[in-house]
Amino acid sequence: MPENETVTDIGLDEYKYHFITEDKPVFKAQPGLSEEIVRQISAHKDEPEWMLEFRLKALKTFYAKPMPDWGGDLATLEETLDEIYFYLKPQDHMERSWDDVPEEIKDTFERLGIPEAERKMLAGVGAQFESEMVYHSLKEQWEELGVIFESIEDGLRLYPELFKEYFSTIVPIGDNKFSALNSAVWSGGSFVYIPKGVTVDIPLQAYFRVNAERMGQFERTLIIVDEGSQAHYIEGCTAPVYTTESFHSGVIEIIVKKDERFRYTTIQNWSHNMYNLVTQRAMVHEGAKMEWLDGNLGSKLTMKYPSCYLVGEGAHGSILSIAYATDGQHQDTGGKVVHAAPHTTSQITSKSISRGSGRSSYRGLCKVYEGAVGSRSNVECDALLLNETSRTDTYPYIEIDENMSSIGHEATVSKIGEEQLFYLMSRGLSEEEAMAMVVRGFIEPIAKELPLEYAIELNRLIELEMEGSVG
Amino acid sequence: MEGTTTIDASAQRNAPAADANPADEWFERFANGLDEPDFLVARRRAAWARCAQLPMPTRKTEEWRYTDVSQFTPESFEPVSPKSEMVAFEDLPQAVRDVIEHSHERAGIFVQRNGAAIHMRLDADVEARGVVLAPISDVAKERPELLEKYLYGDDVTEMEEKFWTLHAAMLTGGYLLHVPENTRIEHPVHAFRYVDCPGSLVSTHTLIVAEPGSEITCIDEYISPDLEETTTSLAGVEIVGEAGADVHYVSLQRYGKGIQHFSIQHVTADRDTRINGFNVTLGGDLTRSDVSSRLTGPGAEGIMLALWFGDRDQHIDHHTLQEHAAPHAHSDLLYKGALTDSARSVFRGLIRVMPGAQLTDAYQTNRNLLLSEDASATALPNLEIEADDVRCSHGATIGQVEERQMFYLMSRGVTRQQAERLLVLGFFDEVLAKLTLEGVRTRVRAAIARKLGV
Repeated sequence: MPENETVTDIGLDEYKYHFITEDKPVFKAQPGLSEEIVRQISAHKDEPEWMLEFRLKALKTFYAKPMPDWGGDLATLEETLDEIYFYLKPQDHMERSWDDVPEEIKDTFERLGIPEAERKMLAGVGAQFESEMVYHSLKEQWEELGVIFESIEDGLRLYPELFKEYFSTIVPIGDNKFSALNSAVWSGGSFVYIPKGVTVDIPLQAYFRVNAERMGQFERTLIIVDEGSQAHYIEGCTAPVYTTESFHSGVIEIIVKKDERFRYTTIQNWSHNMYNLVTQRAMVHEGAKMEWLDGNLGSKLTMKYPSCYLVGEGAHGSILSIAYATDGQHQDTGGKVVHAAPHTTSQITSKSISRGSGRSSYRGLCKVYEGAVGSRSNVECDALLLNETSRTDTYPYIEIDENMSSIGHEATVSKIGEEQLFYLMSRGLSEEEAMAMVVRGFIEPIAKELPLEYAIELNRLIELEMEGSVG
Repeated sequence: MEGTTTIDASAQRNAPAADANPADEWFERFANGLDEPDFLVARRRAAWARCAQLPMPTRKTEEWRYTDVSQFTPESFEPVSPKSEMVAFEDLPQAVRDVIEHSHERAGIFVQRNGAAIHMRLDADVEARGVVLAPISDVAKERPELLEKYLYGDDVTEMEEKFWTLHAAMLTGGYLLHVPENTRIEHPVHAFRYVDCPGSLVSTHTLIVAEPGSEITCIDEYISPDLEETTTSLAGVEIVGEAGADVHYVSLQRYGKGIQHFSIQHVTADRDTRINGFNVTLGGDLTRSDVSSRLTGPGAEGIMLALWFGDRDQHIDHHTLQEHAAPHAHSDLLYKGALTDSARSVFRGLIRVMPGAQLTDAYQTNRNLLLSEDASATALPNLEIEADDVRCSHGATIGQVEERQMFYLMSRGVTRQQAERLLVLGFFDEVLAKLTLEGVRTRVRAAIARKLGV
């Protein structure tokens, strides 16, 4: 059998969670975007005046900014913006315990295969079902430690001063066209505060889904981690398949204070009609460590570049990125590190797999400002191509204004090694098994970083995609 | 002003606009005064029209993000047709004579001053073997078919680059080097562009056609004194390597101050052709170099090398393209630069593997040394791969000279600056070693050492 036929047959891209839960939205805005819609959202959320003004200002900025002419093809998105629902709210109030969560939503989680035991392991679950947190629980011991893990709306309501101090300070309205859009219509997401010196062992996890046709999802997350703390936040999502375009545009802001260590893990397996345009950024202070772990398996087009602004001496930023693009998909992902203080270090590792007509692009920035003496940065990109119709690109930007620094970038592109396949097959493995094994080996450096608690969900998504190649 | 050329850019620069398009009017005057065959004038007009269509790049144009040309207005120059008058060797500018007298053997020499050919010689035996070395204006009259076939390989009306169209419209000089089938020329042809007309725009072209199985080495050397007024040098280079040809090309830019140099090089390598292009940038205020190498036949090989050393507030911007349009081709790029004072450099390289170009072997390496606090470097090594059975990799580094090596040299009594410059020369040697002709290598190393002051 010719090799590329084998690859076509292995079904790496088969969508595993193709199901739709009947939705009963409590409030559903009109499709399309207008000042009226923005006012409605704000009024519905009973927001303070400053937030309404913030939203309206952002809307103006969104209108004023041109569509990006780089990255992926956004032509069809522009046409469908008028048909997208910018706000949905499935329930009126927050659920506090698992029993209160509606059966149909539980059913959705059930089908995603999160076992009961696993749910108990999960320390805090914010399940975002249709634009808003519907389920939110936090273990008592954390509440005692002073950890705040709320929906973003409750964050604004319950901690208005803390919220206002940090909100939109990391990703300003005008950062890009889609951060402006998110700032205008944001809804749902998490608000997290980890107090000084607190170590949170079990990851904080927000599990959310998009579940209504042509519904935009504009989640907004603000995370503040105080000095000397340690925590891990996990966000993952899967979405049912629909035939019309769908759109997700989130903004994640993280403040990582002195000597703190924070990891943000995100894995997306959006259905293949989704535009996923996300701005994720962390401000990293003195001696602190920020790690982004970013997995992109789904969506039609993802444009997402997690960033670390290293603003304190000795700060460290690390970005681990994995992308899988199959027929009709374009993963335009990567990472940004900005060295703005002395002795800062960063590492970007990107692994991508393209098959069929899939295209994966690495796009990254490494910027070292003058004065960031002794800074070191290393970027490594590996791309694996499975078919002759697959495509991969690498677009790193390296801008260095400081001579006392050391910066390196390396990228390689290869197909699955004939020799590796031959070796494995000579040991009795079928071609499909051998290929799956090589692919698993390729992503191993990133897969092994995933926490055990999250493996049930994350590893399943990766493993099923990859192990599906055996079937 | 000594010499024989009559370009006077400043005379009519401020002439009042007679109608809405004064630029068109002076372009017509310029084109009509050239005494060229119709097809060449037609191409010029087409290029001019295309140039008018294309917007002037701004820093919002991705390809020009790091180089500001907003001060550059093509309309502010009025080129005047150069009047070529050949002079004897003794009457060549001293700087040119110095080079010719003191280095390697040559098969031919071609000297231009401000866009006009002023001196030329080709060894009798080389000429007897059918090699053509001639000013483009002469070729246009005597062998127009060669220009019709090769000049501006792409359709003039579809040119994408503003500066390429401007170059084609304003062409004031240049030469054709044509090497017939299976003719191997041992010694290089050495061409000089000497510029000493302040404030002018000089647009010259190098067209090298190597027929199947031929072999040639060619050097373009750019020289000028320091000029008071900003002077523009537009250099177009086209190299066509036909099946099995072997071409070595060196561009050595050591202009004085006051010059902005735009160099656009289009290289096409057919089946089993080897083309080795080497760009050295030392002088000028601003250098923008666009080198694209298209491998159009199986077994083609494109080697792309460059070195630059920037000081003062020099701005050096290199753009490269390694386009694999055929399977089984090999390309290898090694660009190295060192910067001091407040010099800036940009490297943007793209490896593009077209669908079907299987078994491509493509490499790209950019290494930068920053020697001073105010120097800065930007590197954008890009890949676009649309075939799966390929081996492609790229790497870029930006760093400084090693303190331990500095310490060693300084402990031997060498000053800090001297030690640094010696290490830069060592850093460059990896690239210099890839120049196969020893005479050329010595010439290039000497030019670099002179700029480094070691």
